[in-house]
Amino acid sequence: MLPIFLLTLRQLSGKWRLTIMSLLALLPVVVGVLMVSFEDAPSVADFEIGVLSSILAGAISPLVVLAIASAAFANEIEDKTLANLTLAPIPRWQIVVPKLLAAICVAGPFMAISAFLTGYFAYSADIRAALAVTAAVVVGVALYSSAFVWLGLKTTRAIGYGLLYIVLWEGFFSSFVMGVRLFSVRYFSIAWMHWFDARRFAGFDDFSFGFTVVASVAVFGGFLLLSIRRLRYMDVP
Amino acid sequence: MTTNGAAPVIRVDHVSRWFGSVVAVSDVTFDVTPGITGLLGPNGAGKTTLLRMMTGLTGTSDGTVTVFGEPVRRNPPLYGRMGVMSEHETVYGFMKGRDFVRMMGRLRGVTDEAAVDKAIGFVDLADAAHRPLGTYSRGMRQRMRLAATLVHDPEILILDEPLNGADPRQRVHFQTLLRQLAAEGRTILLSSHILEEVEQLADTVLLIVNGKLAASGDFRAIRVALDERPYHVLVVSDSPRELAAAVVRLESVDAVNVDPDGTLVVLSRNVRDLQIELPRLAQSAAISLRRVEPLDDSLESVFGYLVER
Repeated sequence: MLPIFLLTLRQLSGKWRLTIMSLLALLPVVVGVLMVSFEDAPSVADFEIGVLSSILAGAISPLVVLAIASAAFANEIEDKTLANLTLAPIPRWQIVVPKLLAAICVAGPFMAISAFLTGYFAYSADIRAALAVTAAVVVGVALYSSAFVWLGLKTTRAIGYGLLYIVLWEGFFSSFVMGVRLFSVRYFSIAWMHWFDARRFAGFDDFSFGFTVVASVAVFGGFLLLSIRRLRYMDVP
Repeated sequence: MTTNGAAPVIRVDHVSRWFGSVVAVSDVTFDVTPGITGLLGPNGAGKTTLLRMMTGLTGTSDGTVTVFGEPVRRNPPLYGRMGVMSEHETVYGFMKGRDFVRMMGRLRGVTDEAAVDKAIGFVDLADAAHRPLGTYSRGMRQRMRLAATLVHDPEILILDEPLNGADPRQRVHFQTLLRQLAAEGRTILLSSHILEEVEQLADTVLLIVNGKLAASGDFRAIRVALDERPYHVLVVSDSPRELAAAVVRLESVDAVNVDPDGTLVVLSRNVRDLQIELPRLAQSAAISLRRVEPLDDSLESVFGYLVER
C-alpha cells in the first residue's frame, strides 16, 4: 500500500492546490481573531455557531477536503493512469485505503493548524478547548475525505456535486431543517468537539456520544466500502 | 476460432460490448496462443475496447473472456501474470523513470532491485532512468512504460498500439525486443492500425473491422487474399472512349466503366500488370493519360474487402 500512498501524496501536493488550501485555511483564523477582538465579543455559543460550525466545520473544512480528496482518483481517471494501479494483483481495498489516507494526510494538517489557531485565539489561549476544536475538525476531515474520495470515483463532476452538497446540505438544510442534522458531517464534527472538551462546552444541545460514534463510523466506513465497490465494478479508463 | 495449434492462453468467446446504442464489439470469438499475435484494424474498429475487455479493465456486455482458463474481469490475482501497456501515453511526469518502474514492480510483488535494473536495461534506458518521465521524448516514454510492463516478468503481454510515436530507429529496437520476448515463450498480443507494422512482427493476425472479427490466422494467407482483391483504378485521358475500348481487352482488366464526365474506372485483379500495360497501350494509341489513381488503397477499403469475402 505504501507505493500508492506515496504516489497519491505527491499527486495531491501540487503547488497551486497547497497555496489555495493555505489561504482557505487561514480564513477561519482571521474571522475568529476579528470577532473576539471586538469589544462586544461573542459568547462561546455564538462563536461556535458563527465560526466553528458555519465557517470552519461547515464550509472551509469540506471545501479544502473536496479539493483534495475528490482528486485522489479523479486525477488518475482524467490522466488515464488509474489502470497502472487497477491492473496490479492486489485487492481493491489496498488501492482505496492508501488513497484515502493520503487525502486525509494532505488536508488534515492544514485544517488542524487552522482549527487549533482559531480555537486558541477564540478561547483565550485555552489549550484544551483548542485541541478539542482541532480533534473535531480532523474527524470531520476524515469523514468528508471518505465521502469525497467516493465522489471522485463516481463522477467526473465531483467538484460541482461536492459544492452543491456543501452549500445546500451542510450549509442550508442542516441549519434550518432539524432532522437533517442527524445526517450532517458538520454536526457530527461539532458533537465530537463537545465531547472532547465537555468542560467548556457543557450544556450544549447535542447528539449523544454513542450516536456520534456510530454515525461517524457509518459515514466513514460506508463511503469507504462504496469506493471499494465502485473501483471493483467500474470500467477503468 | 483458433490462430494456431497451440493451447489457448486467452480465450475470447462470443464477446460483445455496446455503449448505449453504439456497438463497439459484436460477437467476437478467437483464441490467442503463445507467440506474437497482431490485432489489426482501422481506427475506431473496436481494437482498444477488445483489448480492454481482455485485460479486465472493461466488462463485456455479452460473452466471456478467460485467461489461463479463468475469467479476467475482477480477478486481481491473475493480473500478476499479465503485463498491460495501454494506448494512453500519460505518465506520472514528476516521477523518475526508475521510480516508476520500481513502483510498478512493487505493486506486482517485485522487491528485487535487480529486476528493476533488468527491465530498464532491456529497453536500453539505464542512462535516462534518473530523469523525471516528464522530460522524456514520446518514444522514451513508451520504452520506459514497456520496462514497467515487463518488470514482473509476465507470461502475457498485451500492448495497445505500442509503436505509436516511435521513430524508425526506436521502432526497429522495439520490434527486436518484442521478438526476443516472444522467443522466450511469452504470449504477446499487440494492436495496430498499420498493416506493415503487424506484418513485420506478428506470426498470426486478428483483423477487426466495425467491431467484428473479419479474418484471423496466418498473416501470409491474409496477405494472399489481399493480393487477390480487385482494385478500382481511376483513369483520366484525352480520349476516354477509345481508351476504354482498348483497356477492356487487357488480361489484367476485369471491367471498365466510363463515367458521364469521361472518367474511366477500371476494375483489375492484377494491378501490377495494369501498371505496366496501361502506359504502353496509351502510347501505342497516341492517347494522353492525365491522371491514374487507385481508388481503394486505403486501409479501410482493404479491411472492407476482407469483411465482404
